[in-house]
Amino acid sequence: MVNEKQLKTEAKKLVARDDVKYVIGYEKGTYGFQVTPCFAFTPEDTERFIFSPLCVHNLAVYFMLEEKPPLRKGEKEDTRKIGVVVKGCDARAVVQILQEKGLKRENIVIIGVPCTGIIDPKKINAKFPHQVKTVDVKEEGNNFVFNINGKTHNIPKEELLFEKCKQCEYPTPVISDILLGEPIKGSKKEEYKEIKTLEKKALQEKWKFWSKEFERCIRCYACRNACPLCYCKECIVDQLSPQWIQRSVNLSENTVWNIIRAYHLAGRCSGCGECERACPMNIPLTKLNKKIEKDIKELFEYIAGLNPEEKPLLAMFKPNDTEETIL
Amino acid sequence: MEKDFEPNIIGFLCNWCSYAGADLAGTSRIQYPPNLKVIRVMCSGRINPIFVINALQQGADGVLIGGCHPGDCHYERGNYLARRRYAILRELLEYIGIDPGRVRMTWVSASEGKKFAEVVKEVTDEIRELGPIQHFKRENTW
Amino acid sequence: MKVNNMEKFVLPKEKLSEWINKIISTYQVFAPVKEEELIFFKQIKNPSEIDLEFVNSAVPPKVLLFQQTETLFKFTNGKNIQITPTTSHNEKTLIFGIRPCDAKSFSILDHVFKGDYKDPYYLTKRKNMLLVGISCNQPAVNCFCTSFDDSPTSSKHVDVLLTDIGDKYYVEVQNEKGKQLVESTKKLFTPATEKDSNKKKDVEKKAFDTITRHMNIKNVDTLVKKLDIIFDAPYWKNIAMKCLGCGACTYLCPTCHCFDIQDETTLTKGARIRIWDSCMRPEYTLHASGHNPRPGRMNRVRNRIYHKYNYYPKNHQVIACVGCGRCIDNCPVNIDIIDVITKTAEVKP
Repeated sequence: MVNEKQLKTEAKKLVARDDVKYVIGYEKGTYGFQVTPCFAFTPEDTERFIFSPLCVHNLAVYFMLEEKPPLRKGEKEDTRKIGVVVKGCDARAVVQILQEKGLKRENIVIIGVPCTGIIDPKKINAKFPHQVKTVDVKEEGNNFVFNINGKTHNIPKEELLFEKCKQCEYPTPVISDILLGEPIKGSKKEEYKEIKTLEKKALQEKWKFWSKEFERCIRCYACRNACPLCYCKECIVDQLSPQWIQRSVNLSENTVWNIIRAYHLAGRCSGCGECERACPMNIPLTKLNKKIEKDIKELFEYIAGLNPEEKPLLAMFKPNDTEETIL
Repeated sequence: MEKDFEPNIIGFLCNWCSYAGADLAGTSRIQYPPNLKVIRVMCSGRINPIFVINALQQGADGVLIGGCHPGDCHYERGNYLARRRYAILRELLEYIGIDPGRVRMTWVSASEGKKFAEVVKEVTDEIRELGPIQHFKRENTW
Repeated sequence: MKVNNMEKFVLPKEKLSEWINKIISTYQVFAPVKEEELIFFKQIKNPSEIDLEFVNSAVPPKVLLFQQTETLFKFTNGKNIQITPTTSHNEKTLIFGIRPCDAKSFSILDHVFKGDYKDPYYLTKRKNMLLVGISCNQPAVNCFCTSFDDSPTSSKHVDVLLTDIGDKYYVEVQNEKGKQLVESTKKLFTPATEKDSNKKKDVEKKAFDTITRHMNIKNVDTLVKKLDIIFDAPYWKNIAMKCLGCGACTYLCPTCHCFDIQDETTLTKGARIRIWDSCMRPEYTLHASGHNPRPGRMNRVRNRIYHKYNYYPKNHQVIACVGCGRCIDNCPVNIDIIDVITKTAEVKP
């Protein structure tokens, strides 16, 4: 993994710059295996920065959460930049937002971290539940190493890695102003195994599977808020005239909400998995988003979040796009 | 399946081509099934997938999207964009268990009254075979 | 065998199903059911559906009293509008296996729904509902009910409390309603001995010792006064910067009770419904004029904390938090209420 000292040095230099407002990184959490986002406004704040296999958050979401209160009379707009620490998947989300002109490149500074895989919090909490003291996890070869109550644990990475990390094709951030360490070549390939299994099921079975998942949805919209690409000023669920999705919580409305959110992410989802992590009801949202990701790769040869100059998927067309099933 | 099930199909027809084509079918007195309920939009590119999903949710057994032939769109490219959206939507609906045959798209120009009637007949027959939509209908349980 | 208040019994574990079957014949019973690795309070028809190997449910049992989607009344459109109020929920219901913290949350929610306006939907259900609680033998990492002088084995807010003391359950009857539950099947219960009571005390002590994360508040008044003077401190901005405004904490909190009211209609009929809402969403306080009194995340996060730890104690003399830890477990960015409140002691006004 990345050299933490180097991270702190670079972050310190960045925050000290006159044209940077603050830098967002990771710091130790409050219990167990938790890590939490850290906002460094002064060089001293960057002493708290860490980077470990527990740094699961996609910090790109904070770009779009930046609040700009109305300016007072005579007050000039604060045009300073925001710095952020990103891993491979996070950088793709940033690139996608740049592609859609949601952000200007000159307003952000990106510290890229070539990522060797992140631990799935669900997996590690299932293996080592009830951890009160914060635990530091380090990477050693093909294992994750950490110490709990004086005992050292050496767990093979395969057992704790996020499923998305096992198939990651872009471990090195595709965009960065500062890259911490040598770029890692993407050696894995996305197979879409789970998607293909689900695709093979009969229509009725598919509905049975999804209706069971959508029944559990409580429409808290944590998925929407955790997603760096869900930044509509007025979300479709909040529109009242016309009201597309009723606020009643039942299978029908839940289904529409989940499908329409997945659809709105078509060609935009970077596969970071934050939606699924934030969902308190364990709904397998990545199964939905990855299905669309697979389709657009096959139908339109498009991959989200690689080139900020590229045109977004649904804003362009090719003359020979598929016309299958069109009468 | 009941013998006398008649499907309810919502048609989103673009103003310049397919709606005019439907008009021509009417003035030419060409018979076609009355199951299609038409909503006129200015261009097939106006169609947001939420329209289609909302129609299915409110009880439509099928949805037909009508646009201009590729290259002939009155607004130059609306139908091309709609074509992309339609491909993704069909795959997604099939993935969650809705028969993709319920959502259809067609290119009908303003002079193709006969084709319009044929398309409506074909789509109505196919959706009649599929039966009434059973999944994710709006509940209104009150 | 006469049943007095606070009389204590034991129920052998193998007799539990029999008791529950008897209860099911008289009441609609909601109990913890496992689904997809999560626990939900669902209606059961058979004791075998119950899963008692759980810490706590994903969605708090407040959902049974304060329904997520509640129909207030129905109406028809047209010239002769007819309004039909919802028929009251008069069924006798019982929640089996509620934790002491969640049971306390009902007493806290009572202040809201029994206040200036008596909410008939909540109150009818509350009146017809019995609570059979179950003590926590193994509290989880983020449980902190003890910080509010509560106990993981408290029977204060339930009608009957069960405690697992090995091969049997220690049964504490709290009031008349609980008395009826035990009376109807008294042959299953035997009076508790001192040895049983001691075993329960052991369970209580072990549970207390398992809870190591504490919210360090001296007492309610000190906390309220401290929060009063640090209202404008930059401390809240630092916490709120991390917040995504996702609302998961509000939906999973047993004492949160924000709601919205909307009309849902078809062309011919409709209903007015009440649904859960979240104060963490900017739309919650958005006025029709466009003005928003809580424009930023800082305002909303600070408001939520103050509502639970300052405004509510001022109005109702109780902190609107039961220490269940669901918000800490589910916050995607680790905003930890134990940490937030404990650190207010160091914040300068």
